[in-house]
Amino acid sequence: MNWITDEDTDRDTLLGRLPGVGAPYRALFDTLWQQTHIPPAVLELCRLRMAQLHRSSTDQQQAAWPVDQRQRQALRQWPDARVFTEAERACLAFTEIYAIDALSITDEQAQAVVRHYGDAGLVALIQALGVFDGMQRLGLIWHTSLPEASHG
Amino acid sequence: MANAPRVDAGPAKAGTGNVIRDSALGLVPEVVDAVVALNAAVWDGGPLPPAEVELARLQNAQFTGCVMCRAVRYDVAVADGLTEDKVAVIQGDADEQTLSERERLIIAFTRQFHLDPAGIARDLQQALRHSFTAAELLHLSMAVAYFCGASRCAVALGGMPESMPRTEIAIPR
Repeated sequence: MNWITDEDTDRDTLLGRLPGVGAPYRALFDTLWQQTHIPPAVLELCRLRMAQLHRSSTDQQQAAWPVDQRQRQALRQWPDARVFTEAERACLAFTEIYAIDALSITDEQAQAVVRHYGDAGLVALIQALGVFDGMQRLGLIWHTSLPEASHG
Repeated sequence: MANAPRVDAGPAKAGTGNVIRDSALGLVPEVVDAVVALNAAVWDGGPLPPAEVELARLQNAQFTGCVMCRAVRYDVAVADGLTEDKVAVIQGDADEQTLSERERLIIAFTRQFHLDPAGIARDLQQALRHSFTAAELLHLSMAVAYFCGASRCAVALGGMPESMPRTEIAIPR
């Protein structure tokens, strides 16, 4: 039950209640999957990892883009799992430090992404992380997303 | 904090005069139109007055550590009554009691959004609902969510100056 309108609604419904801002916000989210610089499946892994870090159960259960189920299941243990490519690892490492403290991102972590996806790929990833982070926090603060009891 | 830019924005500099399109964000043209549209919408698309939106944006910048975001003042917010006395409260240099109840609640909400969004207390929920309409709370929430991403984006791209003077700008359109 969200506390703003006292209804059992999801995040998208609440975004739609203020279309002047919610519609362009949703449009930006949708556009991320149409850019050509980072594969959408890699973005989805990053979105899911961020949802784990935010402990948003609802965002972890959603699927914005199809990903390999073995990767999805191994995501919490990605540093030790063998199902991720070097490019995916670079993006997941960047996602983690972005979620914890963007000021702490190192040039090496940024360059690791650039090596695989170029400057435009790094920009696309950073833009996507900003949208994922904002959307997931919205769901949590509105109480339209269920928080996870444990894990990180 | 990285002082050197992490990407070469050269290819993106189209000379449009729009600070978003001409920045590194222009390297991803498929997305930049949507960013520009949302950036304008958070000022134009909801019921909160610009001075209150700016208060939330500046409080957000305190958390992300974006030097540029902290230095900027949007002209529409200044025209709407945002004063440096109010900004001083956000920067910890003045007593929060000098602000109105609505302004204090905007700051409290923005802090909660950053520190523990899921843990927003019932007291704060009730105070927000008492002082704001549902549409205003949705506007505040979405504006803070967007500012959070935009500000972290600026930090993550590198090239952040050590300091920057107060700079008044118009909303890029």
